[in-house]
Amino acid sequence: MVNGIRIATVKWVLILLSAGFACAQTDAERERRLIELERKVRQLDPSYVTPASQNFDERLSALEQRIDQLLAARTNPPPQEAALQATTALPLQAVSISGDYQASSEAETRLPIAGYMDFHVNKDRGEPARPDFHRFVLLFGHSFSDRLKFWSEFELEHSLIEGGEETGEIALEQAYIDYLIKPWLNFRGGMVLTPVGIVNERHEPPSFNGVERPFVETTIVPSTWRELGFGLTGDLGRGFRYRSYLLSSLDASRFNAENGIAEGRTAGFDASFRNPAVAGRLEWAGVRRATLGLSLYTGKTGFNLASVNPRVTLASIDARYSYARVDFRALFANTWISQARELNEVLERQTGFVQNVAKQMRGYYFEPAFHVLPRRFRNDVILFARYEKYNTQHRMPEGYVPLTQFNRSSWVTGVTFKPNADVAFKFDYVFNRNASTFVRNPDSLNLGLGWWF
Amino acid sequence: MVVLMRKCLLLFFSVCALAAAADDSKTAKPDKTISITAERFAFTPGRIKLKQGMLVEFVITSDDTDHGFRIPKAGIDAAIPQQGKGELRIRFVAREKGQYPFECSRPCGAGHNVMRGLIVVE
Repeated sequence: MVNGIRIATVKWVLILLSAGFACAQTDAERERRLIELERKVRQLDPSYVTPASQNFDERLSALEQRIDQLLAARTNPPPQEAALQATTALPLQAVSISGDYQASSEAETRLPIAGYMDFHVNKDRGEPARPDFHRFVLLFGHSFSDRLKFWSEFELEHSLIEGGEETGEIALEQAYIDYLIKPWLNFRGGMVLTPVGIVNERHEPPSFNGVERPFVETTIVPSTWRELGFGLTGDLGRGFRYRSYLLSSLDASRFNAENGIAEGRTAGFDASFRNPAVAGRLEWAGVRRATLGLSLYTGKTGFNLASVNPRVTLASIDARYSYARVDFRALFANTWISQARELNEVLERQTGFVQNVAKQMRGYYFEPAFHVLPRRFRNDVILFARYEKYNTQHRMPEGYVPLTQFNRSSWVTGVTFKPNADVAFKFDYVFNRNASTFVRNPDSLNLGLGWWF
Repeated sequence: MVVLMRKCLLLFFSVCALAAAADDSKTAKPDKTISITAERFAFTPGRIKLKQGMLVEFVITSDDTDHGFRIPKAGIDAAIPQQGKGELRIRFVAREKGQYPFECSRPCGAGHNVMRGLIVVE
């Protein structure tokens, strides 16, 4: 803007001076003033070169031509400036946008897709190390309008899919449409993540410590747990947010003693909506860097079983908080399964094995973490320790004895190094224990490299 | 000639005054400065109340990855640098009363679509 005014001013002065020159000034004076004008134009446009000709009129018209070009260039201002100029008629009038990414060479190249990857090397005590490109995930989104948006997540696990052999898996983790009505009321439908716990909806590798996701959030709360469904989401104000869905059922025919309900996820394949489950989560994030969450899931799960239709109810409470250079997160979850005895009897008849499904499962963990480097450093080094207690045999139905090897606890201790907020090198050592005197739960050493883009 | 000179000077000073006024709102102390934190998948605070006519500055930082900050009713869409890479500063004048949503404009994960907030101008 100011440059434009300067150019216009120079042009006006040029016209006025040239008019004046014609009638009143000496040749020497006119020459001096023309040189001065040429100098000023060069300040505005360093590429301007004085014409080789010594003719006064030619030099004057060259000056005029260059000023016209400069003015024409100013008619199309840079995009950000143009955007700001265009906002003068809007109810919120933008004045300036500045910051560390604006016009910075540090700004990342933006792709039209996002994604995350997770590469692990796991070594259980007494076993060889196992490298595994665990997850390669691409995320696609699209805005049909300001109100209608699409989001999806497409995953390849363990790097290889081959027909008829036990290999990795390719899966649709999310694919849903959001219809944004009001801040407190939005509709969502499609393949959605069940809104339970911390990690299920926030599972990008740099967003949690430890090479593997917490045990509690893979056994007691399945992860990644997604179902077909629809529901409402919204921001209720004062830091409260909610999500509530009707979802396809878990499949009780795949419950077992070791992993509880986790294997019962249908993940959208051969799913049932005969008895849709209800899932909801209420979050409070009213204080900066603090989040409290309450989650509830309940639904009948017997659509693949003839004579029993057990109800699964899962409740969890979780918290995340950061203060100065210390982070803290914790979660407690409890699962109830009705008709557990009848379910075990039916499963034993179907499979020939006693599945020993519990009527209650319980798990909790807490994790303090400390950022070693001061905030001003570009890199981040996080030391953490996580204690987990998870028991998929917490309460057994009448006539069934708990398998104590599935009453487990772990100390996960390690370090996360982030050369960039979206890239995490992870190392941890896991001290695994269980309540059994016969079956050992071996310790493990894990290395991981995960990134998000 | 003198009349022409006067007109030119008048035009010159008018344009300079306009430019100075525009620069003032860029450099003047804002009536309100608000720090906003962006983190998957929420802005904190998520609701911001302003008075009509205020010159407001948002200072926005991320606690994790890159996010975007878009206010459709202000024609603003800018990048919020990831944690540790600085901040985004946005100044605007709340000209009219109303409720104006803002949202993340850079895909950031499962809750990206509803990573939104609300500016309420009273």
